[in-house]
Amino acid sequence: MDTFAALAHGMAIAAQPMNLLYALIGVFLGTAVGVLPGIGPALTVALLLPVTYKLDPGGSLIMFAGIYYGGMYGGSTTAILINTPGESASMATALEGNKMAKAGRGGPALATSAIGSFVAGTIATIGLAFLSPYLVDIAVRFGPEDYFALMCVAFITVSATFGDSPIRGLTSLFIGLVLGLVGIDKLTGQARLAFGVPELLDGVEVTTLAVGLFAVGEALYVASRRHHSEEKIEAVKGSLWMTREDWKRSWKPWLRGTLFGFPIGALPAGGAEIPTFLSYSTERRLTKYPDEFGKGAIEGVAGPEAANNASAAGTLVPLLTLGLPTSATAAMMLAGFQQYGLNPGPLLFAERPDLVWGLIASLFIANTMLLVLNLPLVGLWVRLLKIPTPWLYAGILVFATMGTIAAKPSVVELSMLAGFGVLGFLMRRFDFPIAPVVVGLILGPIAESQLRRALAISLGDPMTLLQSPISATLLVVALIALIAPFILKGLGRFKANED
Amino acid sequence: MKSFCARLFGAVVALMALTASPGLAQQMELKVMAPAAPGGGWDQTARAMQQAFVASGVARSVQVTNVAGAGGTVGIAQFVNGAKGDGNQLMVNGFVMVGALAMNKSPVTLEQVTPIARLTEEIQVIVVPANSPIKTAQDLAASLKADIAKVTFAGGSAGGVDHVMAALFAGSVGADAKKVNYIPFSGGGESLAAILGGKVTAGISGLSEYDGQIKSGKLRAIGISSESRIPGVDIPTFKEQGIDLVLANWRSVVAPPGITPEQKKTLSEAVEKMVKSDAWKDILKQKGWDDAYLPGDAFAEFLKKENVRVTDVLKSVGLVKS
Amino acid sequence: MTESAAREAPARGIDKAGIVIAALLAAVALVLVYDANQIPATTMYGMGPQVTPVVIAIGLGILALANLIDAVRGNLPPRESADPVAVLLILVGLALLIAIIGFGGGFIPATTTLFVTTSAAFGRRAFVTDLIIGVVLTTLIYVAFDRLLTLSLPAGPLERLL
Repeated sequence: MDTFAALAHGMAIAAQPMNLLYALIGVFLGTAVGVLPGIGPALTVALLLPVTYKLDPGGSLIMFAGIYYGGMYGGSTTAILINTPGESASMATALEGNKMAKAGRGGPALATSAIGSFVAGTIATIGLAFLSPYLVDIAVRFGPEDYFALMCVAFITVSATFGDSPIRGLTSLFIGLVLGLVGIDKLTGQARLAFGVPELLDGVEVTTLAVGLFAVGEALYVASRRHHSEEKIEAVKGSLWMTREDWKRSWKPWLRGTLFGFPIGALPAGGAEIPTFLSYSTERRLTKYPDEFGKGAIEGVAGPEAANNASAAGTLVPLLTLGLPTSATAAMMLAGFQQYGLNPGPLLFAERPDLVWGLIASLFIANTMLLVLNLPLVGLWVRLLKIPTPWLYAGILVFATMGTIAAKPSVVELSMLAGFGVLGFLMRRFDFPIAPVVVGLILGPIAESQLRRALAISLGDPMTLLQSPISATLLVVALIALIAPFILKGLGRFKANED
Repeated sequence: MKSFCARLFGAVVALMALTASPGLAQQMELKVMAPAAPGGGWDQTARAMQQAFVASGVARSVQVTNVAGAGGTVGIAQFVNGAKGDGNQLMVNGFVMVGALAMNKSPVTLEQVTPIARLTEEIQVIVVPANSPIKTAQDLAASLKADIAKVTFAGGSAGGVDHVMAALFAGSVGADAKKVNYIPFSGGGESLAAILGGKVTAGISGLSEYDGQIKSGKLRAIGISSESRIPGVDIPTFKEQGIDLVLANWRSVVAPPGITPEQKKTLSEAVEKMVKSDAWKDILKQKGWDDAYLPGDAFAEFLKKENVRVTDVLKSVGLVKS
Repeated sequence: MTESAAREAPARGIDKAGIVIAALLAAVALVLVYDANQIPATTMYGMGPQVTPVVIAIGLGILALANLIDAVRGNLPPRESADPVAVLLILVGLALLIAIIGFGGGFIPATTTLFVTTSAAFGRRAFVTDLIIGVVLTTLIYVAFDRLLTLSLPAGPLERLL
């Protein structure tokens, strides 16, 4: 009952006309900056945070929520339109989304992503408001062995991104795993694969790798084959808006994506990448149009986008209840709180309920505002593709390098960016999938350190992985996920024969 | 990604610092290097100095530069090589750098820089889950002596202040520091989850980080690492529990090598004025840092002692090869 | 990532590029093992830092072999010819960007160079126009991000004038 009353109170504040205006400005600014290639949501929020300082706490919080959602959506827009995900969580979106955009279906892709984000964001925010205390109890029960098991599930789902050759897919994944080894070993402080270069001791930045492989690699590849066919990207072909068919194919992935995103996002070390890939591989398996996957299936955009947004709301669970920022974006949210001298943690709900509920209400409002602002803008974003190719790609490279320069203005980092660009070009040329490299870089180190933590706690006894019920369950899930495709394939053949 | 945002957040903080300070015209133009990404402790210290230097009228302008990487290894190398003999440059450093330099086999050491002063420190705390049978530091000592392998400590990065503290604790209660089962987590968040979930025996961290959890009763603090009790904190020190462990995560400021005695004097005086200013005191209160000002030779002496102590500990746990 | 033009092409002879790829993978595996052997063993409990690199190296070794078999059988997907000049132009642009940043030339000249070379790689020959567009664009970015949003971008002589 208290929850309802508090939420209603928060809503009443957030829905004042002035605050609605702030939400609109926030969403607009967030989208405008987030849509620049190479600039992900976390960076967007970081850049625009100072803008909110000038407002009163309520308005500031609301604008902040708007920026946050706008940045998230802007990141997906670049992923879909120009195959340049601003952060690893929108990588899965780029897989199908960009194919759709190239086929002139950028409009529906952006629309399903906006509506999916809205649906997932709304459901997850409701979850945040009502389930936080329970979820957090479960979340802290996750120990290192359980995270390792979760990573095993994630590794299996990555295979959905492999394309037609498992060998080349695995090769890509292993390149990512190798890159993940670079730097100081988290558990013993020993340097690995740093070759005496101090800048390498901190490891390979995920953003540098992703921007190098996707943005720079794509530019090189497109340039290299310009002389073939002037591969005309069609901005709009068919309807700019989602058709009835698109709706029918989108709503289930939205809901499933939310189911993956919210709980995994709520885990202190869950992250946003795993649910997006879980969602992608699930949609790929459940779809009635398996042929379209890899060529631009709308389910492959709807699901991961919903998962991405739901997990973003999920990360607020540990942030608000424990004070744990579990993602880059959550870290920026924490910064947003701290500007009011607030330290999220177990006492926050008790001490400052007005601000907590104000924030949750703001999330609802901002989420709605995003839809209001961005659906009409879909047509405008799609037209970005009409910029002449030389300038489009030159601009992409300028923004992509700017992101890296801003993060670490070192020659070593920029050389890595260029190197990854070349790698991305060669991989495209020889038909190796790109996404598994980034996934390997993200998941490899997590899986390794969690396994080693689990083994250190158990004094080297591997049975610890089976003794924890969570871990045992997840390992079984992983096993099923590994075997199921073969069984399903058999079933599919059986069915096909019947037809 | 994290450091990326941290950097940006730092830029944001810098803007706030700039707008907050009245531009009083004065003589010095200083450059302060934070050998870390924006957002962390060293960066915050550098930004706070920037604010206090300008607000107190000691310096006309202060520029903060960030050179991130490997616990300060990258930053100090650039500082020692690039700022040699420059009397207008300072670098923030601290406890963690001592261990990082040793572990990364850095060719540049803290002996090369000119020590100016220690500025702040943060007291460390050991916590256990609320339902743990361990109630006091002596209980933990007893479990360590019974079977050291089974006592797991969660804390920050390998070789950092939390790790050193685990080894020192074991050493001072008569257990074999070499065998301490220390499990590093990335960031306070993950280790906190492991402690709350009862996955580890105990957790080590800066006191302020777990303050909320301790007050809400989810964690039990069994001891703090200060010399004597801290006013307003109802946690016994290790010393009063009969364990000789005093440790603080200190931060200090140093000047480049090869500066003249006059230059050193000017910088020391500037730092002294800055530390005595109201602006600095306000910042300390606001950030919850403890003033630990220790200038000149006393600091140089302290730095040397800490260097020996930390290096010995890291050697004993096998992180640094002797 | 590539389109499926002529995917059903019949298996050709030995693919030289494929063999190079396999050799590179094997080389990386060797580097991993070599590097892992340099790490001093320090772990008291559980798994040391050397284990994972060796496991990954074994995986890479197997993949090198699999790639080699694919290459020998000519199973690699067919490739269309690439335009080396275009690729080179962009790479030169990136190299110049790194050099300009490295030598303190600042953000605007560095990114403008990249803009112009990339644009040229995509077939434009109007250098002066592109140069002007590049300068205007990167100056706008610099002002917007460095000044308004306080992101610290490297400043050279040009940026200090702003």
